[in-house]
Amino acid sequence: MKTLRKYRWVLICLLLAVALILPQVISSYLAGILCRILLFGTLAGSLNVINGYSGQMNIGHAGFVCIGAYTGAILATRTGVPFVLQLVCGGILASLVAWVLSKPMQRLKGIYLAIITMGFCEITRIISLNWVGLTGGPLGIKNIPAPVFFGVKFNTPERYAYIFLAILVIFTFLTGRVLNSRVGRAWISIREDDLAARSLGVKLGHYRSINLMYGAFFAGVCGAAMGPYYRYIASDMFSMDMSFNILSMVILGGQGTLIGPIVGAAIINTVTEAFRFAQEYRMVLYAVIIIAMMWIRPQGLIGVSNSMLSGRGIVKKRGRGQKNERPA
Amino acid sequence: MEYILIQFVNGLCQGSIYALMAIGYASIVGVTGLVTFAYGEVMMIGAFAAYYTFQYFADQLLVGILASFAAAACMGFLVYKICYERFFDKPRHISLICTIGFSMLVKNLAQILFGANTKAMPSVIQNFFLDIGPVRINAVQLIIVATVIGLSGALYLLFNKTQAGIRLRAVNQSRQAAALVGINVKRTILFGNCLGCGIGGTAGMLLAIYYQSLSPTIGSTFGNKAFASAVAGGMTSIPWAAGGGVLIGVIENIGTAFLPNSYRDVFAFVFLFIVLLLRPEGLSKKEGIRP
Repeated sequence: MKTLRKYRWVLICLLLAVALILPQVISSYLAGILCRILLFGTLAGSLNVINGYSGQMNIGHAGFVCIGAYTGAILATRTGVPFVLQLVCGGILASLVAWVLSKPMQRLKGIYLAIITMGFCEITRIISLNWVGLTGGPLGIKNIPAPVFFGVKFNTPERYAYIFLAILVIFTFLTGRVLNSRVGRAWISIREDDLAARSLGVKLGHYRSINLMYGAFFAGVCGAAMGPYYRYIASDMFSMDMSFNILSMVILGGQGTLIGPIVGAAIINTVTEAFRFAQEYRMVLYAVIIIAMMWIRPQGLIGVSNSMLSGRGIVKKRGRGQKNERPA
Repeated sequence: MEYILIQFVNGLCQGSIYALMAIGYASIVGVTGLVTFAYGEVMMIGAFAAYYTFQYFADQLLVGILASFAAAACMGFLVYKICYERFFDKPRHISLICTIGFSMLVKNLAQILFGANTKAMPSVIQNFFLDIGPVRINAVQLIIVATVIGLSGALYLLFNKTQAGIRLRAVNQSRQAAALVGINVKRTILFGNCLGCGIGGTAGMLLAIYYQSLSPTIGSTFGNKAFASAVAGGMTSIPWAAGGGVLIGVIENIGTAFLPNSYRDVFAFVFLFIVLLLRPEGLSKKEGIRP
């Protein structure tokens, strides 16, 4: 582990170099998978900020993606603003909605947050399915123009991978900085023990709402980037299944680690792609993987074993005999 | 005005099924202390068990109720073994994600086994109509409401008058204290979970009869409704969960009088948001442990 830390920068540069060269040397099909991995890596990472770092149980992440995607697509097809602005607008709108949503969430804990986010996800999907004037209803929005940078049209998976890569790198870098700041430490302290955090002067509601907005921002950016890649968005892409997919990537890779969700996204996308021949049984396998992961290694592949997330924290607390029998 | 009255009656009927679902959900959550997302799939299995019973064995409602109860209770046993048994002392998100995985497993296996397309539920109830003023009530609605009331009464007796019910309520109040007075906590939890799942399966069958159709993917809609009703009622309090279910049914149906039918699910969740905003603990006043 120590040597790993020592050569961290070398490793990161190597990975970046591989990621930069890779889209040029592989086939279009493989580049598509790479795109999915990078996209879902960012999405899982942004969910991990919410679930893994502040312990808010968000299971409706697709709702934020949906808002970002529709914002980006509507801006692209109707106004033609620059691509980067589409991304930023998608992110900002998603995070505004997250701010509104965080108000009722402030008084709630645990499973109640889960149901609020689930309801939010369903409501967003149903509204986008039915608001025909704005979102095109069940037909969705078609012919979203591909972005053009320096005269190059990013209309193939090989080229689009660079956009997803850029988003992922920016996200990972920013999140790494935020987590080491005052804000990030407040998030982690809330996750480990919210009562202790409050007694030390961490404003619970404030930091939790910042946390949700930060995660939602990047979900919105990813959503806005999705539209021009698929050239088409429709509301059934953003169902609870997508939320559960993202969640299982976070869980598999390891909540509360920066690199874990990306690993989770890579593994799940490769496995589901490799088992394409199994057809319907693919999803069965997927479900079995999730259950097996919870049985064998609940903190995820890369997760740390001494945190609240792995189940150790609770046991210790019960040993001291202060909490009642059902941990919050 | 008449239309709203008709919708109100429809809402009462649908709400009574939701109430039954919520009763099952609340008794599961009350006794296990863990929240499940596999409940919708359990209900779906109950509905399919009834469907195949009607198809191949008997066209009797009572047989269907028994079959769906038994099948769903078996599912409850599986849920307990896979998702709960090892995770009582662990943080709650672990078992929660386990139930999500389990529901995906069941849903996809059901799609393979039963076929992915929608099936028509055979009508087991002799249809006739009752006209009360402008409102026309059909036999299906009457029998469904009667079934729900009968089952709820039976459950009330079970919870209040029998040894098993008293054990269940004791575990619901405090697991440690229940263990101290010599109750086999794990077995009681297993029993409560199977009971709740069985009730859910019966409710799933009733809902399939009401809609006259079923498919392997309806589970998530069912589960969301049950979850919403139980949360609105306060999660562990059974009478209030039932009240929440009836309220959500009525609000949904009256709402569809004003907005298109496809917004139906929005009403349930908006109502839930409002309840949680005003009373985060749900409608009930019940003190004690809640998840």
